[in-house]
Amino acid sequence: MTSPTPQQPAEASQQTQPSQASSQSPSEAPSSGRPDENRHAPYEETRIERAIGRGFARVTGRAMAPYQTAVIRIGFATTWLLFLVREWPNRHVLYGPDSPWSLDMARQLLDANHAFSVLPWANSSGWFELVYLLAIVSSALLMLGWRTRTMSVLFMIGVLSLQNRSVFIGDGGDNVIHLMALYLVLTRCGQVWSLDARRAKRAASGATDEAPALGRDLVGIVLWSVLGLALAVAQLLGPYGLTWFEHGPFPHIGWSLVFWGLWATHGLWWAVQRYAPGEPRIVLDTLAKLAHNGALLVIMVEVCLIYATAGWYKIQGSRWQDGTAVFYPMHLDYFSPWPALSEALGSNGLMVMLITYGTVIVQVAFPFTLFNRRLKNVLLVVMICEHLSIAFLLGLPFFSLAMIAADAVFLPTNFLTWLSARISGLRKRLVGGAGDPGPAGPPEGGEPEARTQTGGGGHTLVG
Amino acid sequence: MQSYGDETRPLAALSLPSRIVIGVAACAVAVVVAMHLAMMFLHVAPSNTLSKQQGSLISDYVYPEYEQNWKLFAPNPLQQNIAVQARAQLRTEDGTTRTTGWTDVTARDGQDIRHNPMPSHTQQNQLRRGWEFLVNSHNAQNQATGLRGELSERYIKRIMMLRLDGEWTADGGRVERIQVRSMTTPVSPPPWSSEKISVKPVYRVLPWWQVTADDLPKGATNQ
Repeated sequence: MTSPTPQQPAEASQQTQPSQASSQSPSEAPSSGRPDENRHAPYEETRIERAIGRGFARVTGRAMAPYQTAVIRIGFATTWLLFLVREWPNRHVLYGPDSPWSLDMARQLLDANHAFSVLPWANSSGWFELVYLLAIVSSALLMLGWRTRTMSVLFMIGVLSLQNRSVFIGDGGDNVIHLMALYLVLTRCGQVWSLDARRAKRAASGATDEAPALGRDLVGIVLWSVLGLALAVAQLLGPYGLTWFEHGPFPHIGWSLVFWGLWATHGLWWAVQRYAPGEPRIVLDTLAKLAHNGALLVIMVEVCLIYATAGWYKIQGSRWQDGTAVFYPMHLDYFSPWPALSEALGSNGLMVMLITYGTVIVQVAFPFTLFNRRLKNVLLVVMICEHLSIAFLLGLPFFSLAMIAADAVFLPTNFLTWLSARISGLRKRLVGGAGDPGPAGPPEGGEPEARTQTGGGGHTLVG
Repeated sequence: MQSYGDETRPLAALSLPSRIVIGVAACAVAVVVAMHLAMMFLHVAPSNTLSKQQGSLISDYVYPEYEQNWKLFAPNPLQQNIAVQARAQLRTEDGTTRTTGWTDVTARDGQDIRHNPMPSHTQQNQLRRGWEFLVNSHNAQNQATGLRGELSERYIKRIMMLRLDGEWTADGGRVERIQVRSMTTPVSPPPWSSEKISVKPVYRVLPWWQVTADDLPKGATNQ
């Protein structure tokens, strides 16, 4: 299993079999035991072995979907950032000292369910303000892709800390952000459309020799040291949540192990790039790609689970069957910011029925349409439009934004690169008039090129 | 990043130990991803043979960080407006007690949400989800079940004190006890429907709760 790949290239040139059909086709599956085939090569892979080899080469070859992971990074970070800014005046009541869900009560619940939060660490309003501010700053920086990996960890800490402190204040949108904040940490979501990508591109074009450029990454070293120091202090004070082998995100892996592990890995990655740029770097890089691809798969399946669950449970409901379901949420006091509009839309029975049935069909069908590009894209457009209308009609803008961000993981690369070209074109036109952008660098700075082969991944020390 | 020319170097060119490390890691990632997805699936799927058998294993894995509920408006959307109302018993300065009238706190939320494109969680979720929490952790006789039941009572009490204490005690006095009830009104069926349902509200009245100094959120007193 170490690597069936070595034989690949030679194999491909030898074999002139044109049929690239299903690898399972039993009639064609060559068995290595047959004498006539043994004449060709000392060892011939079976189709299944070759399929495994191809898959292995793919998941270790590159961090897939650079544009999609970038767009969900930007989507979730922006949603959470906007939410935190919108709730700024209410932050004390939601998560802070004025909350009816007092820190004392939160502690009782957290002691029972062991959810992670840094807010119980201190009962002072200063600590709360600091955490809230850090959550805002880390969201903004994750959105921009500055030291993406580090910011994704801080973003996760912010999301978990606030949400787990006041569990009874969130809704579906918070739930999506919570899950994705955990998964994003394992992805290389800053390969494109990020300040990291821009910096790496400049370093590459500026210095022919990369080593000195990396070595001078002072900001990274400082950030890494400061965070390590903060973690050490926290660990020494032994507060809530920092255990080694229990109550973590994964069985037998505590949050201490997670944070120290991530921190040590960053340090190792930097050291390896600086002092051992050969094979050790490739191995580490490959491991990061594996983690990225695994997390990406989890994110994609998670989105499918969301729609499948939402759809399949609806099928069982009498209101979704009789075509009136959509009428009811629009007449709930908590979800009708525009009663006159809800009234007008709810008065047309046929329309309500079509939307009701359409919703169920789209939600149930979505996971299956992934096997057909065109159909998937049509459904994506439909779902995004539906979420936009939910945002407005039911007064759920942040829930809808989070769902749209989740949908975006399935947007086609063509569309995303087209969008990026349009946006940078627009920016060029806007900035261009003002003359030379100067220190801000070339306007197309963070813009991606078709870096699908290399997969990027040029993370600096903490990037 | 461009200068990582070795990026495309095939893994075959690596030494055996490196290939072993990568191979083992790939297997580990595959196993972890498969297990995680299986857990997520069993968590959101309806209760079934496997999830009944492995219930504690699944919940140990899923809770608290991967908890999720995607039965959005399903199987049926909520078809009732649940209004939470509260009243208080005050001890006035001259030693007498006085009971206030009912205040519909949910109606105030509704007013704040009306024509608001970006309702706050304090308006849309705090009381609504707090009441859900209370209902889910109480039995039909309105008795708290376990720690969560007690916490939910304190939570609702504190929400009411946060919002109404200032109003109740505007003319002096001190809140001694509060009482909470819910008024459930079915949404009347669509105009084209021939369905006939009673739209008479149904009340669920909880017992009086003693209010202590502990139940005063910091913000409540200075409102």
